[in-house]
Amino acid sequence: MRTRTNRFSRFHLLLIVAVVLSLVAAACSSDDSTETSAPSATTAPSSDTTAPSTDTTAPSTDTTAPPDDDVNNPGVYVHAADDDPLSLDPAGVAAGEAGETIILQTYDRLVEIGPGGPDLIPGLSTAVPTVENGGISADGLTYTFPIREGVTFHDGSTLTADVVKFSWDRALEMDLPEGNSSILADLVDSTSVDGNNFVVTLKDRNAAFLNSVVTAAVASIVSQEGVEANGGVVAGQPNEFFSSDVIGSGPYTLGAWNRGENIQLDVFDDYWGEPAKLDVRIEQVPDDDVRTLGLRAGDFDSIETDPTFVTDIEGAEGVTIFAEGWLLEPVHIGLNLDIREDLLPDGDTVPADFFHDPRVRRAFNYAFNYDNFVEGGLSGQGGVVPHYLPQGMLAYDDSLPRFETDLAEAERLFTEAGWWDDGFEMTVLVEEGGIFEVAGLVLKDSLESLNPNFRINVAAVVEVQFDDAHAAVPFEYATWIKNADPFADPAALFAAYIHPDGEWGDVHKFRNGYQDADGIAALIEEAAVSVDTDRRVEIYQELTQLLFDDPMWVIPGNEKALMAHRSWVQNFTMNPLWPRPSLKFALFDK
Amino acid sequence: MQIREYIIRRVMILPLILVGTSLIVFTLGRVGGNPIAIYLEHEMTPDEVAQIEERYGLNDSLPEQYFAWAGGVLRGDLGYSGVLAAPVMDVLPKRLAATLELSVASAIVAVSLGIALGTFAGARRNRLPDHLTRVFAISGAATPIFWFAIVLLIIFWVNLGWFPVGRSEPEIFESISHPTGVYTLDALLAGSFTAFRDAIWHLILPAVTLGYGATAIITRMMRSSLAEELNEDYVDAARAKGLPERLVLRRHARRNALIPTVTVIGLGFGFLLQGSVVVEIIFIWPGMGRWMADAVLRGDQATIMAYVLFTSILFLVVNLVVDVVYAYLDRRVVLGS
Repeated sequence: MRTRTNRFSRFHLLLIVAVVLSLVAAACSSDDSTETSAPSATTAPSSDTTAPSTDTTAPSTDTTAPPDDDVNNPGVYVHAADDDPLSLDPAGVAAGEAGETIILQTYDRLVEIGPGGPDLIPGLSTAVPTVENGGISADGLTYTFPIREGVTFHDGSTLTADVVKFSWDRALEMDLPEGNSSILADLVDSTSVDGNNFVVTLKDRNAAFLNSVVTAAVASIVSQEGVEANGGVVAGQPNEFFSSDVIGSGPYTLGAWNRGENIQLDVFDDYWGEPAKLDVRIEQVPDDDVRTLGLRAGDFDSIETDPTFVTDIEGAEGVTIFAEGWLLEPVHIGLNLDIREDLLPDGDTVPADFFHDPRVRRAFNYAFNYDNFVEGGLSGQGGVVPHYLPQGMLAYDDSLPRFETDLAEAERLFTEAGWWDDGFEMTVLVEEGGIFEVAGLVLKDSLESLNPNFRINVAAVVEVQFDDAHAAVPFEYATWIKNADPFADPAALFAAYIHPDGEWGDVHKFRNGYQDADGIAALIEEAAVSVDTDRRVEIYQELTQLLFDDPMWVIPGNEKALMAHRSWVQNFTMNPLWPRPSLKFALFDK
Repeated sequence: MQIREYIIRRVMILPLILVGTSLIVFTLGRVGGNPIAIYLEHEMTPDEVAQIEERYGLNDSLPEQYFAWAGGVLRGDLGYSGVLAAPVMDVLPKRLAATLELSVASAIVAVSLGIALGTFAGARRNRLPDHLTRVFAISGAATPIFWFAIVLLIIFWVNLGWFPVGRSEPEIFESISHPTGVYTLDALLAGSFTAFRDAIWHLILPAVTLGYGATAIITRMMRSSLAEELNEDYVDAARAKGLPERLVLRRHARRNALIPTVTVIGLGFGFLLQGSVVVEIIFIWPGMGRWMADAVLRGDQATIMAYVLFTSILFLVVNLVVDVVYAYLDRRVVLGS
């Protein structure tokens, strides 16, 4: 008996040793080969340096790494995302929310932002309205959209101008607080139908109406029959059906939404335009490491990519990194001009009027180590932004003034403002992990190494805590860091971030600090309604100079538009003006 | 006290425990953050925030809110999960089934391997097999789950391509009905070998990852218990009677050594449920843990409250089952005394 037991033990011992050795051997043998076998996509980015529009006709992938012979998941494009939608209803989705990208793929709008940049292309309107083609009235208030014929919705119903009007009116009537209908309500005076034309009359002229409003998710066209058959329109109440289902006219139908797991989009065979080639599955993969591993394994065709882990995938076999163009959402360090000393975190010593002095704001801008942030936080995948126009936006020019690290100038300004000898302590609020926390640490390092009397505490909190604090009025911190909302037109950017009475101007009380608040406001308002592009460019460049002298933010940098994808994906392109992940899957093949 | 009487008594006091638990859960839900944080955006005006508060009944007094919530729970309405954009009760059965499937698979790995290795080592005290088993067990207890999971993924997913992540191949998963929500069971009920193989294939890596840590604890406990039992007089008596060593081990020593081990296994099930949060995130497993982690990070209070209430109930039931099993294995135990 004892002999049997011993045989048993030897067998199992050998088995265990064999398993352990095979695991060790597999672990040691494989990964290095993939690291060295392919040229780095970011060191040889020749293919991806072409304009995005070129990428739609010539695959960006072919010259950076040879396509693999075997394509995983044939017929299905798999994208690994890091966020799940809260709603799929165009009337109920917030700007920047994950549902926007599903709406982008499954609904159409009257005009669309093309793949090559900010240029508009016809959508359900057969023409992009201009003054020249008569689509925009001479006074700039009336827009006429000729509605495309022969368009069917996913439920088989037909598109008409009346359906378009119904769709816009629905969003306005529902007026959901979590939705984005306010961008329609703020501008639109009335909607009407004239034959097969949809006519919009604005309350006031607005230069960004087409780029920022008509192309927005809330302006997507829904099936009227679908709405009426599924709960209709109730003011102030979300529509349960459309919150989780789709009846649009886009190139994809909603196949399935396995919440928190994946979203499947099926090719819509009756699509009026160029049909999509691949079905789509968007996998919810919250962990960065797993997304990068999945891309390397070939199970994901593209992944939500962050500069902080680009080095993990550089050079991986069969992987290309698309790094072309810029995100229109530069990182911002907010300077609070409405500090409530009793609300500040313990230890903060900055007074209520700390940032009222433009010398202090300029000193912060000169003290910040931009190179450290761009090379470290953004892994070199970004750049410094002029104060205040990001790269790629109307009126951007390389010659616009931008802050560079100048410690002597920072010292001079802090001394003049009276803070150099006494010093200060303050807390900067950031969301933990990622580039925002890095920006906070760079700010801390920049100021504390400049002067030991300066002390910066980086309060890195989880997303929900940050969002809660970020939405609080009055704001309970002296500074905070996040990226700007992406805007296609500077009018919306300046209204939200620069106007003394705008979204952030109101919260941070910019009027407490601007040297000429009314002058800045007047320029922003003029540029917002002007239809003369040259004049708009002139105004924004003038504003940029004013804001360089009187900054309300520190802008650590801006990310390049960045997406890692399998090299077998053909026609890959992305446009930062499309909702995250800035992809239109209908363009792709593999 | 007879087992049946004990069970009845425990079940009768369950409602009182649940009321206490629900009060704690509700209070924590209110002090733990803004109940509608997940729906708030910076751009919202105070009027818009007020609209959302009204929609979710937050304008009522706290007692009214509690009774509305508790009433909903009694009617089977646990609220609306913001992170999954669906009523909690629509999602919970599927998520629970996924987590239980993973936990049970992990438990099978942990219990079978842990008892086998513990017995193996306990019967060979202070010899090489015992030392090797100890190394294996201590490594399991000391290795962080997230690191072990990533290592397994690098080896078996990325490099070897043997095992996938996720719970299923969507096409295969959708090819069968899911009356229980447990994929392996549903595949068997549907008579689909393809689906069953798909389910097992997706289960192996997360189950091994999750089970490894628990294996270590069970192995050590089993080894120690068995070593003690083998020194007992009744074991010597059995040997003196001429009983083969194999039967001494299996029929006498191991059975008694299992008693403390079963207690550890019961507690280990809680470990598996907690550990499943990390494993579900890394292996893209659509279970309760991943759902909960997402809810916590995004401030989805309805989901958090539902989860805490539900797991409280689960622990109460598991504890009851462990007590009963304990009594069954050791007749000397007097329940309720």
